[in-house]
Amino acid sequence: MQRKFGSGSEPLIEISALTKQFGSVQALSDVNLRVMPGEVYGLLGPNGAGKTTTIKTILGLLEPTSGWIKVVGLDPAKNPIEVKSKIGYVAENPIVYDSLSTRDFLEFVASIRKTDKASTNELVAQLASAFDMTQYFDSPIATLSLGMKQKVALIASLIHQPPVLLLDEPLNGLDAKSSRIVKELIGFHAEKGGAVLFSTHIMEVAQQVCTRIGIIYQGKVIAEGTLDELRSKTEGSGGTLEEVFLKLTHEESEVADTMRMLREAFFKNEAK
Amino acid sequence: MKLSEAWRLSKTCYREMVYRSLAEERGRMWWGAFGRNRQGKESQDDLELTNRALRIAKFDKAIVAFFNVVVSLAPFASLFLGSPGFGLTSAISLSLAVTFGFTALYAIQTLSSFMSPESSALMSTMPLNRDEFSLITLFSFIRSFDYMVIGSIISQVMLVAYLTASPVATLIMFAASTVNALFAVAVALWFSRIFQRNMLRGGRSKANTVLRLLFILMWGLLLVAVGFLFSIPWYIVPNLQSTLLSAAHLWNSLLGLLYPFSTGIVITALVSNVTFITLLVASAAMVGYAFLAVFAGKWSLGMVRAVSQGAGVNITRVTAKDFSVNPRGQLLGYVAKDLKVASRNPATAFFFALPVLETVIIILLDSNIGTLRTALVLSGTSLGAIFALLLPLALLSAEGKGLEYTKTLPISSRRIVVPKALVSTATYVPVPIALATLSLFKPLTSPSSLFIPFLIVLPVASASIFEIKLFLRTAAKGKIASVFNDVEKLTVGVVVILVPEVAYVVGFLATFNHAFSLLAMSAVAFAEFAVAFFVLRRS
Repeated sequence: MQRKFGSGSEPLIEISALTKQFGSVQALSDVNLRVMPGEVYGLLGPNGAGKTTTIKTILGLLEPTSGWIKVVGLDPAKNPIEVKSKIGYVAENPIVYDSLSTRDFLEFVASIRKTDKASTNELVAQLASAFDMTQYFDSPIATLSLGMKQKVALIASLIHQPPVLLLDEPLNGLDAKSSRIVKELIGFHAEKGGAVLFSTHIMEVAQQVCTRIGIIYQGKVIAEGTLDELRSKTEGSGGTLEEVFLKLTHEESEVADTMRMLREAFFKNEAK
Repeated sequence: MKLSEAWRLSKTCYREMVYRSLAEERGRMWWGAFGRNRQGKESQDDLELTNRALRIAKFDKAIVAFFNVVVSLAPFASLFLGSPGFGLTSAISLSLAVTFGFTALYAIQTLSSFMSPESSALMSTMPLNRDEFSLITLFSFIRSFDYMVIGSIISQVMLVAYLTASPVATLIMFAASTVNALFAVAVALWFSRIFQRNMLRGGRSKANTVLRLLFILMWGLLLVAVGFLFSIPWYIVPNLQSTLLSAAHLWNSLLGLLYPFSTGIVITALVSNVTFITLLVASAAMVGYAFLAVFAGKWSLGMVRAVSQGAGVNITRVTAKDFSVNPRGQLLGYVAKDLKVASRNPATAFFFALPVLETVIIILLDSNIGTLRTALVLSGTSLGAIFALLLPLALLSAEGKGLEYTKTLPISSRRIVVPKALVSTATYVPVPIALATLSLFKPLTSPSSLFIPFLIVLPVASASIFEIKLFLRTAAKGKIASVFNDVEKLTVGVVVILVPEVAYVVGFLATFNHAFSLLAMSAVAFAEFAVAFFVLRRS
């Protein structure tokens, strides 16, 4: 991984007043965010908050209802192919061709992305051996576990050494070693001046990996900043990200009520 | 567990199979699935799509069963029409042969989903014992072609009962139709298993690729054989009936050893005269086939049981010697991917065998004719071209949910259309080559007619482009579609193929000049291609 992405003051991802509506459902509402070179931005939110919709809109797979997006200065709606060539994407559920082997699939991705053979081979060899893929490189993807499929998707996302990484729950199904490697890779990418938008609902992961965190809830970014900045926005400063998150989304009392109810239901039979 | 309970539960497994088959392999819904992941709405959509998949499967099954009944009855029709040299023996034999081929073909289409361990994953978590589990899986498997088998058995048995008025003949026909269905299912299971095993083995072995190609070819030849049998009475052996029943030569009697003919001979023997030696040979063969059917049935049951226990196919890992990849550029990379994906799926792989089918059909059409007439060239060409039009749908279906990933890559929709159109057009290429080769042995009524099959390459390319564009448009709406939607797209393709040929015919009727007709045909073919090119440029 020799390429340096730059260290300018221009954001690599910029979103302004983004809204996205599906029929009567407001999936995103006035979302604003910027990811600078060298930054790992964590998009944190519960299931259905709008994380994946935000990522797909950045990638140009969904058209914004209003607002605008720039990726490396380009509008995904106007320059979809150029934007996709600047992005490495890992989907929430690794979507790959099941009947192809890992090698066939990476060959296909490298062909479409028109990568240089020598650098692609060097990169793929390093990543595949780091992810212990010797036994799985020529196996059909259909036969791989979720974690292995995730590794294939991660290698495919890095194959063209893009300046922007969009990672939607990239640690899904990964073992401890691979998770660690992915976290380090994300760090290296940022060190080189790349930008990472990292979506997760696991607080510990966001806490470890991200330099800045945006909390998205019901389609709105309700808070943004470093972990310390987020803590200071809540009364209980010094708490974990989970506590901060629950306070910001006003879900703390709701969780407490639910747990009380579940406890009663769970021990009901035992009491009898 | 009660049988009725197992039948009711098997609907869940069957639903899963149908969903996978329609959604993943026919690849409809995933393409439009982006952006429909809102909580609540998604699950509602999924439920609606599953139910829709089930309705479509039922509809498709009914259509296919109807078609199967028609083809199983067609050989008997000639008995009523008084076709010379065509009797009860050949009608029964051909009806069984055609039904066998058709049932096996349809079962292979469905089995690709059935053979995956995921199809029974849901049931495997339930508190069921192994026998109950196997029974449910078996029923879910039967559900996928129940209409078809029942339809053909009833139609064949009823016709034989009507034609022979013999309870014994009717009973034999019932047994033979059942055995026929068993053979078809066993062959389909065996074929799917070999294919699946080959695919799951992985590795970069050239032997695997060769084996896969061999099976594709074999599958194509099986289809050809069925078509061949079906066309024998009219084109090749007008005296099949007398050949089968005569003992003039030993080999005539030995025909009774061949699978479908033995049944036909034994049933005929009950109502008319058949030489003793022929009847003896056929009866012995029938007993042999009955034993073979028992074996096939047991083997199929064992196979179904193995699948239900997640042991349908063993996965073996091959250690990679290196991690090298070979980027080929967008067009070649996409073509290579399309070929690999489609050839590894038994449901789509046989489409690659169509060139063989086309060429053989053309040769069959020509075999009894001394001169290559322009009408024959036109009909042979259009037949080959229409077969080639099935490939775009097969390629798109094989792509399935993978296309959703492709949408995240920097590739225009034109780049998705062009490789598929190229592969489809390439499958047509054996047709003009076969006709050109034939023209070396048989005189042409007009030398200019040799250009017709070569010119049709353009309409095949145009039709492929239109078909793929239409398919992508439907897919973009995120809909799953029934077999009729495929027919709709195919119809557009067929029209594109036929219009230049009609131009030729009209031109010839107006001027009786082949050169002028060819010019008219060229003009239309080029015009179509220009429109297709324009449509492609706008992608």
